[in-house]
Amino acid sequence: MSNLEPIIEVKNLVKVFHSRGRTITAVDDVSFDVMEGEIFGMIGPNGAGKSTTFSMLTTLVKPSGGSIKVAGFDVYKQDDKIRPLIGIVPQKLSLYPDLTARENLELMGRLYDVPKDVMNEKIEYYLKLVGLSSHADRFTGGFSGGMKQRLSVICAVLHEPQIIFWDEPSTGLDPQTRQSIWKLAKKFNGEGKTLVFTTHYMEEADNLCDRVAVMNLGKMVALDSPESLKEKTGSSNLEETFINLTGEEVRD
Amino acid sequence: MTIMSEIRHAWIITVKEFRQLSRKKALMVPLFLFPIIMIIFFGYGMGGTVKNAPILIVNDDTGMASSSLVQEIGTYTSTYDGSPMFKVTYTKDMARAEAESKIDAGMYKAVLLIPHDYSDRLAKNEDVILTLLTDSSDTTTSGIIINFMIQLMSRSGPASLDVPNIYGNLEYLDFLTPAVIALTIFMGSVATTGSAIAGEKEDGTIVRILMTPVSRRSVILGKTLYQLILQIARAVILILAAYFLVGFHMNGSWLLVALVLVIFTLGGVGMGIVMSTRVDDMESFFQLNLLVTLPSMFVTGVFFPLSSVPNWMRYIAYCLPLTYANEAMRTIMIKGQGLSAISTDLIILSFFALITFGAGVHLFRREA
Repeated sequence: MSNLEPIIEVKNLVKVFHSRGRTITAVDDVSFDVMEGEIFGMIGPNGAGKSTTFSMLTTLVKPSGGSIKVAGFDVYKQDDKIRPLIGIVPQKLSLYPDLTARENLELMGRLYDVPKDVMNEKIEYYLKLVGLSSHADRFTGGFSGGMKQRLSVICAVLHEPQIIFWDEPSTGLDPQTRQSIWKLAKKFNGEGKTLVFTTHYMEEADNLCDRVAVMNLGKMVALDSPESLKEKTGSSNLEETFINLTGEEVRD
Repeated sequence: MTIMSEIRHAWIITVKEFRQLSRKKALMVPLFLFPIIMIIFFGYGMGGTVKNAPILIVNDDTGMASSSLVQEIGTYTSTYDGSPMFKVTYTKDMARAEAESKIDAGMYKAVLLIPHDYSDRLAKNEDVILTLLTDSSDTTTSGIIINFMIQLMSRSGPASLDVPNIYGNLEYLDFLTPAVIALTIFMGSVATTGSAIAGEKEDGTIVRILMTPVSRRSVILGKTLYQLILQIARAVILILAAYFLVGFHMNGSWLLVALVLVIFTLGGVGMGIVMSTRVDDMESFFQLNLLVTLPSMFVTGVFFPLSSVPNWMRYIAYCLPLTYANEAMRTIMIKGQGLSAISTDLIILSFFALITFGAGVHLFRREA
């Protein structure tokens, strides 16, 4: 799927947090490119710096050092140019429980300045796509985890973003919902959208991603296609590869 | 990003807030009904007016002056519902000790002793002392009776009952209502702003909003617009309720009331934002809220005048913004004064709004 044009360029990225007199380097000199049209995965144990990197890529948190360019725009100075081009599926599903599915979608559509008639068309289309048409006018507070996840995804794509950032797409989902989420991801990718994932699940990375960045303790320890990673570490599956690269110790 | 699109985005947030409010039926009760209930219960319960209070007048004087005095007391009616203030029993030649025993027995709230030479001495323009015994176990009623009698005795000529009350017949409800409005707006704006943001943090929705092209400025502006509309609506409903249900008198300018409330709401919104940035969920917010708003309720003279509290309490009150809002509201609504009379209060409230709002915007923008 991917072209060879980088759509995201990350150079020497650093993020330092100061908390109660302690300095924590969450992301330590990380550089990588994401190519246009590829599915790019970031995997790593807890505390590896995935989420922090994700927040910086999505303009939510400013880097302490280094640079990020998304679609040619600098996250420091041009975050207002970047935001309309990206869609974000946050880890917390982030839906208003006291609004209906349709109202949640309409809110997102309006905030992204999608013209009203286009928006209504897209809402119908996407609700049908994820099988939520009959639940459109129900409050999302009563939705199941899988329904929330599907709604959360389509909230992020109403404005047809070039890049979709997706934080832990299938954490806590049943196998059926996970399959449908992956199918959705592949469909968006097939439409030419670039996808950037974070995940704990090796199976997910193996199944979906063109390339995987393995992060550990704030550093990037490997970046390659799932096949090459397995080959390099002499492992039969990505889970083994992951343990090989990041160690067996349990993280907190 | 143009100003127009910022305002449009802000308005989207405002509409969203109202839509959410409309879904929270249970919230409507504390928002709209509670302040009205408070005015009715406190207003009547804490006894602004006294009606049909049994009093005994022991009149040992036989002159004209005393009989007209007695008649004035007997026919005096309070302004609210037309009932006489006192139910008077007349007698003479009763010793003070016996009169006291009648109060002890709970038969009378007060006994007024008129000496036998009352009319004579008044005619000669000499000092005359009347004795008023009251049931001091009922502080509210006895306080009102004492005040009434003092005013009655301090009149210049003996002919008419002139109750010198410069702000009209000021009753407890008139005193209470302006401050309850200020209190309601304060607690409401802090709590609804802060809890909404804390809730959005808890379920992650604020993060999604902040990831859209909408600026944080617009998000705050949208929430502030919502609060201004909501709080002013609450004030209007409260004032209407006070007017129709308990006959509250408005002596001043509505425009000034609106000005005070808008500035005060901005301060409350700012404070709610500041507090919400210090917590991660709704429950912690409500604990913090209790700590911040409850002392204001009791210390700032909503229910009793600050002149009646000890100095140390007054010093605390002067550190709390609600004190100045109460003062400004009473100055406008009871005394009917203009801008110059409340300028100090307005300056302090504006500072409060500026500081909390500035800090709120700063902390909100810095937070992820």
